[in-house]
Amino acid sequence: MTASAPSVRTTHRAATTGVVAGSLLLLLLLALPIVALVLRSGLAGLQQLGSDSELRASLWLTAQTATLATLLTVVLGTPLAYLLARERLPGASVVGALLDLPLLLPHPVAGMALLLAFGRASPAGAALGAFGLAVVGSRTGIVLAMLFVAAPLYVSAAREAIARVDERYESVARTLGDSPARAAWRVTRPLAGRGLLAAAVVMWARAVSEFGAIVILVYNPKVASVLSYDRFTSEGLDAALPVAAVLVILALVPLLALRTLRASALSNGPTR
Amino acid sequence: MIRVDGLGAHAGDFALQDVSFELQQGAWGIVLGPAGAGKTTLLETIAGVRPVDAGSVTLRNVDVTRTPAEQRGVGIVYQHAFLFPHLSVEANVAYGTRDRAYALEVARRLGVGTLMKRAVGNLSGGERQMVAIARALAPEPDILLLDEPFAAVDPRNRTRLRRELRSMQWEQSLTVLHVTHDFGEAGTLGDLAILLEGGRLLQAARPETLFRRPPSAAAAEFLGAENVFAGMTMPIESPTADELGVMLFRSGTLTLVGVADSRTATHAVIRGEDVVLSVGPTAPSSARNALEGVVAEVVIHGALARVTVDIGEFPLVATVTAGSVSTLRLLPGSRVVATIKATAVHLC
Repeated sequence: MTASAPSVRTTHRAATTGVVAGSLLLLLLLALPIVALVLRSGLAGLQQLGSDSELRASLWLTAQTATLATLLTVVLGTPLAYLLARERLPGASVVGALLDLPLLLPHPVAGMALLLAFGRASPAGAALGAFGLAVVGSRTGIVLAMLFVAAPLYVSAAREAIARVDERYESVARTLGDSPARAAWRVTRPLAGRGLLAAAVVMWARAVSEFGAIVILVYNPKVASVLSYDRFTSEGLDAALPVAAVLVILALVPLLALRTLRASALSNGPTR
Repeated sequence: MIRVDGLGAHAGDFALQDVSFELQQGAWGIVLGPAGAGKTTLLETIAGVRPVDAGSVTLRNVDVTRTPAEQRGVGIVYQHAFLFPHLSVEANVAYGTRDRAYALEVARRLGVGTLMKRAVGNLSGGERQMVAIARALAPEPDILLLDEPFAAVDPRNRTRLRRELRSMQWEQSLTVLHVTHDFGEAGTLGDLAILLEGGRLLQAARPETLFRRPPSAAAAEFLGAENVFAGMTMPIESPTADELGVMLFRSGTLTLVGVADSRTATHAVIRGEDVVLSVGPTAPSSARNALEGVVAEVVIHGALARVTVDIGEFPLVATVTAGSVSTLRLLPGSRVVATIKATAVHLC
């Protein structure tokens, strides 16, 4: 027996209503805390920027360390992403798993692992300390923690951006006299450029928002997330909210940049 | 000169295996084969952008098997032009050379000299392909690999482009290896035809030999032979020294005299243009096969007609001129005699 047309329509309408209601509920759950935070303390937070030198220093430190971590990852991670995208890396599945692992760790656990590997008592930590790059309680530690938790995001997104560029562009460039590295630089890099930039923005935003790994390694100097937690535990919610609201507002900058980059990457994607 | 010996390479799960042939300097080689035969993999391996798993690649009498692509002096043009979209047309054409004037001269000869300031995204399919060919020729390679380059070009420009490329090939003694699905191109351009199937070489021979004497029934069908019959071959009753390759082919009630490469041939291949149709009594001739039949269908394509003749159990297709159809008044039901020389019946 087949369903009659009105009953099919009713089922379809019910399904559509269910999907829309579910989507709205999820959006509400995601947006409500952010909107509440900004409405409650956004203005106060921006005003506090003028008077609170610790907040300004913390934001500046966050931006500096996140930028440094991102630059380091771009320099070291782009060639790795290229090798993974072009399937030219032996043991690529092991490398892929290694890259995914930091994403799966609870961030305080990541901090503990970093402490174990680069703390003062570890050989690596001692070696870094000898070069004036002590990890615990230093900017180096902040950069390291940011890099550890956010670099996999960059490499993964960069790999996708590079894989979207047909390898035959490079083949043509090779027959026109380019070495593999030169072909990748002259052809693949510009064609994947927007995707690579978007990957860097994602990484930067993730680094800025990192708390769990940093707080284990470096409580002082305080990055913005640690400062907001510090104010919450020492002075209460009202003192922490303006700091948190400023972080949310500032997070909109990379978010908007990312949206713009993705839109332009989609409309100007490589063609044949 | 291009020579490959026992060449093996892979692309994903696909493997090119044991391919050997030699194309002389200044010759035009045609690579034919169904989709997935390994044509592009072959070109990429010769260009050096795909690693060799086995065998060797020799260019200009030098083994280049381990030589990187950028040092092989080989140009490649893919079916999709793969113009660099972040560069202008001019920058594309001059990408591989410092002699910008020569690059522009090549572009002008190929009819794209006026497009130099344009963005790549604003070119038509045919223009893109011509720019890609100009880009490949600008560094003055003496070996050019073409992977279905004319597929996106309209017929008028295709003829012009083909002529221009042919003339540049003669002038510069270019060795060209050209993948195509166009059998007309294979016949008019090719000095050597290379037939691949499933990653293996079926035959490398002059195009007319390949089309007349395909190595297998599958190859014959791929190459557009209208009549392929399955059956068995046997020596003719009184073989003489002169008739070593002449065999009798039987398939049901059909008996043909043909020429075989081996005594184990299982198929007879006859091209439609080798079948002569006559109406009424035929004069004695040297043709060894005369088959009586009834016209089943006449389909006219421009100046040519495809006439299907029912010769008992099998349909036999003859390709004749539309004028002959009219002169002989060939209509469905007409009684005809199909005459075929033994040398036109290829047993394989």
